[in-house]
Amino acid sequence: MTDHTLAMFVLPEELAIDTGVARKVVAAFIRGQLRQAGFERAVLGLSGGIDSGLVAYLVAEAIGAERLLCVLMPYRTSSPASRADAEEVVRRLGCASELVDISPMVDGYFGADGVAGAGGPEALEAPALRRGNLMARIRMAVLYDRSVTWRGLVVGTGNKTESLIGYTTLFGDSACAFNPIGDLYKSQVRQLAVAIGVPEAIIRKAPSADLWPGQTDESEAGFSYPELDRLLFWRIDKRRSIDEVVAKGFDRAMVERVDRMVAGAEFKRQVPPIAKLGPRTAGVDYLYPRRRPGSARS
Amino acid sequence: MQPLRIALAQLAPRLGDLEANLARHGALLGEARAGGAGLVVFPELGLTGYLLQDLAAEVSMRLDDPRLASLAAETAVLSAVVSFVEESADHRLFIAAALLEDGELRHVHRKVHLPTYGLFDERRFFAPGDMLRAVPSRLGVGVGLAVCEDFWHLSTPQLLALDGAQILVNVSSSPGRDLAATNEVGLGTAASWRTLMRTYAQLTTSFVVFCNRVGVDESFSFWGGSEVIGPTGALVAGAPLFEEGLFYADVDLADVRRERITLPLLRDERPELVAREWRRLIAERAGLAADATAEAGAVDGFDVAADVQRAGGGRG
Repeated sequence: MTDHTLAMFVLPEELAIDTGVARKVVAAFIRGQLRQAGFERAVLGLSGGIDSGLVAYLVAEAIGAERLLCVLMPYRTSSPASRADAEEVVRRLGCASELVDISPMVDGYFGADGVAGAGGPEALEAPALRRGNLMARIRMAVLYDRSVTWRGLVVGTGNKTESLIGYTTLFGDSACAFNPIGDLYKSQVRQLAVAIGVPEAIIRKAPSADLWPGQTDESEAGFSYPELDRLLFWRIDKRRSIDEVVAKGFDRAMVERVDRMVAGAEFKRQVPPIAKLGPRTAGVDYLYPRRRPGSARS
Repeated sequence: MQPLRIALAQLAPRLGDLEANLARHGALLGEARAGGAGLVVFPELGLTGYLLQDLAAEVSMRLDDPRLASLAAETAVLSAVVSFVEESADHRLFIAAALLEDGELRHVHRKVHLPTYGLFDERRFFAPGDMLRAVPSRLGVGVGLAVCEDFWHLSTPQLLALDGAQILVNVSSSPGRDLAATNEVGLGTAASWRTLMRTYAQLTTSFVVFCNRVGVDESFSFWGGSEVIGPTGALVAGAPLFEEGLFYADVDLADVRRERITLPLLRDERPELVAREWRRLIAERAGLAADATAEAGAVDGFDVAADVQRAGGGRG
């Protein structure tokens, strides 16, 4: 564990990255993605959490805060503290922001106060998971609409840990034009957030999807991020077998459970398969880079 | 004193935009000439960008392509190494590096080793070259060209040096990866390449010129860090990581003579022994000769018996 970050969070030493190099790579990546697509601006959903907070700082560093729009999209039960944290990021960066209350859209489908919505009476009883998924997809739809009005690309804010274990909503929070932090574990997100100056309160607080009051990622998943990040790093990046990570001290039951989560989420990380029928099929034997001469918006 | 100014054109090519990249090469050649360079080196696929996939066939050039001739025409009293997709007469596509000198295309090296593993998929789209040749140059010494992965095989720098190269040029599109804080300069890829280049320069007692691109293709960020290493294995000059630009290195080609007199490693190489042992290995691996040094139970071409016999399980 490294000393300089101990104060705010635990950073397993094998996960420590060179944040100077990371910032250079990510800044060039963001500029490259925008240029190749013919865009000069970016838009992202700012929740008040560390992932979207870090991405806002990274985008501002890459292209300037004046080209960034942060959209705050609380639901009526969302934590007021989250909104305050998001507003603090906007204030410190000096970027544009908009507030879109998604409550009417969510309630319009699930219903509210015993009155059924577009989803019918059954939807009134929808569990938190269903509600959370729709919220994520509505936020996605709002961001893609703002992408048009702001003339900016939607920047993804999901990290590697949540992507690997599938703690994301397909076509919801995972939807984006490009993602600068999708190859960083949560611990590395924290390390980079410290380096770039994300407000300390955001770095210190327990990560949460904020689907219900008091919810935290770690209590829901049953293990801590440093522990999970280390396990994923050794299993995936360093190709260690189950026996080898158990020998390193990981609990076998946890290892097997995480393995199942990773395998079960494979579909969320890939483009849906197309039935192969014609001579050339996108993604199979019609393979082009996403951007090439002529593909940038003019 | 045989002074030579080498210009490393550490640029960020536009993916698939041959015309824009040709123009950029032309401009940088002019700038390097004005800056006093005698040798200008551009990165792997600098004329096309790296992650081409099916675009490769659309940006390929035959060696008699007039666009290539126009670029060569800009090398009067100058040597330049440029890289592009070459289409052969039988329509194979190669990742090519060409030596342009005094207005002519002097030599073409077709990338011999095409990485097709991990993040690489080159063999799917390209044919491998079949030759490694050092060529004489207007610089007064032999030049050996190699492309990126060619240098991850020990035989490449050795063969080029034995063939007469005193300047080994490697042009690359190396994607940066592994940001572990423990790495030299914070990047695993850079640390590996630096080790290789210093080792090759020392073991071949030659100059090693490495030009790596910068910029972004899709998910890949290319890290630059182009360098010139002297024949003692010491750094002459290096370009910064991730920054686009024209960077110069001043070398004294007489350093090669000094080092080869001091440390006659090349003189003492044993190519006939290496060739004999290679021929033995090739025959054994093909099952055409008995392997005298193999364990009992080993399959033809493998010195050791299979794991399954040793451990009673595992890989089947």
